[in-house]
Amino acid sequence: MTMKKKEHFGEVKKYTILDIVYRILPILSISCIFLLWIYVSADKPQLFPSLQATWERFIKLLEKPVMRVSYLGHISASLKRVCIALAVSWIIGISFGVLIGWNKKMDAFFGSIFSFIRPIPPIAWIPLITIWFGIGEFPKIVIVFIGAVMPVVVNTQAGLDSVEQMYLDVGTAFNTNKKQMLLEIAIPSALPSIFAGIRTSTSTAWMVVLAAEMLGAKSGIGFLVSRGMEGDDLPLVLVAMITIGVIGALLGVVTSFIERRLCPWERIG
Amino acid sequence: MGKDRLNKQGAKVRLRISGLSKSYDVKNGILKAVDNINFEVYDNEFLVILGPGQCGKSVLLNMIAGLEEPTTGTIELDGKKINGSDPRIGMVFQKIALMPWKTVMQNTEIGPKFRGINKRTRREKAQMYIDLVGLNGFEDSYPSQLSGGMKQRVGIARAYANDPEILLMDEPFGALDAQTRYAMEEEVAKIWQKEKRTIIFVTNNIEEACYLGDRIILFSESPARIKELYVDDLPKPRDIVSQKFLELRTIISENTDLAI
Repeated sequence: MTMKKKEHFGEVKKYTILDIVYRILPILSISCIFLLWIYVSADKPQLFPSLQATWERFIKLLEKPVMRVSYLGHISASLKRVCIALAVSWIIGISFGVLIGWNKKMDAFFGSIFSFIRPIPPIAWIPLITIWFGIGEFPKIVIVFIGAVMPVVVNTQAGLDSVEQMYLDVGTAFNTNKKQMLLEIAIPSALPSIFAGIRTSTSTAWMVVLAAEMLGAKSGIGFLVSRGMEGDDLPLVLVAMITIGVIGALLGVVTSFIERRLCPWERIG
Repeated sequence: MGKDRLNKQGAKVRLRISGLSKSYDVKNGILKAVDNINFEVYDNEFLVILGPGQCGKSVLLNMIAGLEEPTTGTIELDGKKINGSDPRIGMVFQKIALMPWKTVMQNTEIGPKFRGINKRTRREKAQMYIDLVGLNGFEDSYPSQLSGGMKQRVGIARAYANDPEILLMDEPFGALDAQTRYAMEEEVAKIWQKEKRTIIFVTNNIEEACYLGDRIILFSESPARIKELYVDDLPKPRDIVSQKFLELRTIISENTDLAI
């Protein structure tokens, strides 16, 4: 596009206007949300806390811990659960996905069990997990893991299942052994699909950890939400919700960054 | 120049194709793609298989490369039957099929890498052929950064870097524009002069066949059968507007329904 700008002067104006439009649109949408917020909260402050009340609650939260845990402490408590669960789910999910995506027998053996377990929402596991592991950090991590591992397995399997025949032919023509075919050809060609799974698992994990925390925890952003609900502290709920949104978006940025680092060829062309 | 000189005197036979057929089970019965093919390939010759599109010549090449199994018949290399893919046979693909996640260097070195050759040796080898196809300086580029012609140069370097004794080329320039195609044909002829290999080159382009081949086997419409064999002994590099070149081209085109 930059090339075109230099070559065709007629198009310069068009692109510049478009560029400005693309910059303005997000600002516009965010402004709309704020205006709506101000409008709604001015009308019925008991249903929706005002912008000012929320901001003041945020400042107070920074100064005064909730349940002896600071604001950042709550954030890191949630993040820690998510990170541990994600790390484990990526390792196990990719390995398992490769196994059933590459080996037809394994797929026949595990596939049906997996497609039956997959639709069960991770939250539905909470009663069983609580009976098995009690309350504490470990059961929460297990629940997040259950939610996070599913999309990794599904996408890894799909990626390995749909490796283009052309690449496999190249492998055959160059006399690969089975291990090289998997490690050098099948898995790299499935990487974009694997990363799609990793992105989904990250957002899923973040949602599940908050739900798990809301149902029983003494720390974490989800705990702040339920605490705000119990204490009739709607501004606290809103602060927690905004935090959830911002961190969720940041996690998305981090995963795309990792993807770009690991798949440099996808940046070009 | 002449017809039916199936046996070149004194030349050593490397590859012998005997009674080779390939059929596929389809909805309404059996589809015959290749029908009872017999021919020999001599040491260091440039053999062109010329035939209309979809006539089954790619299937034939795939069988020699070990990518598909023959329904009947045998393929012998140096007098011994081969089954499946043989490291002595290399392939340049019509779809080029570079790995988009590998750089030019990494794509070129896959043959020796898969054979477990150490990094230094295989890089040296790959570098030699990258230089030979004129891609020096593009070692760290990804395929998506290259033009179609450059991609197929990598495809050729990749095949050569694996040191094949027989090199199969399956319509390697089919996807290129006419200008690039001419340049690539010239390039392949030049490389063949420098690095003598036995080459089986499949094409549907008569001019390409006449320009490159020592012998040209003309295939019929599907199923692929051998229709005619021509010996093209014009001196190389060939002049594509010389009287003799045009004569050969005319003889072949009179015998086919191919568009020139």
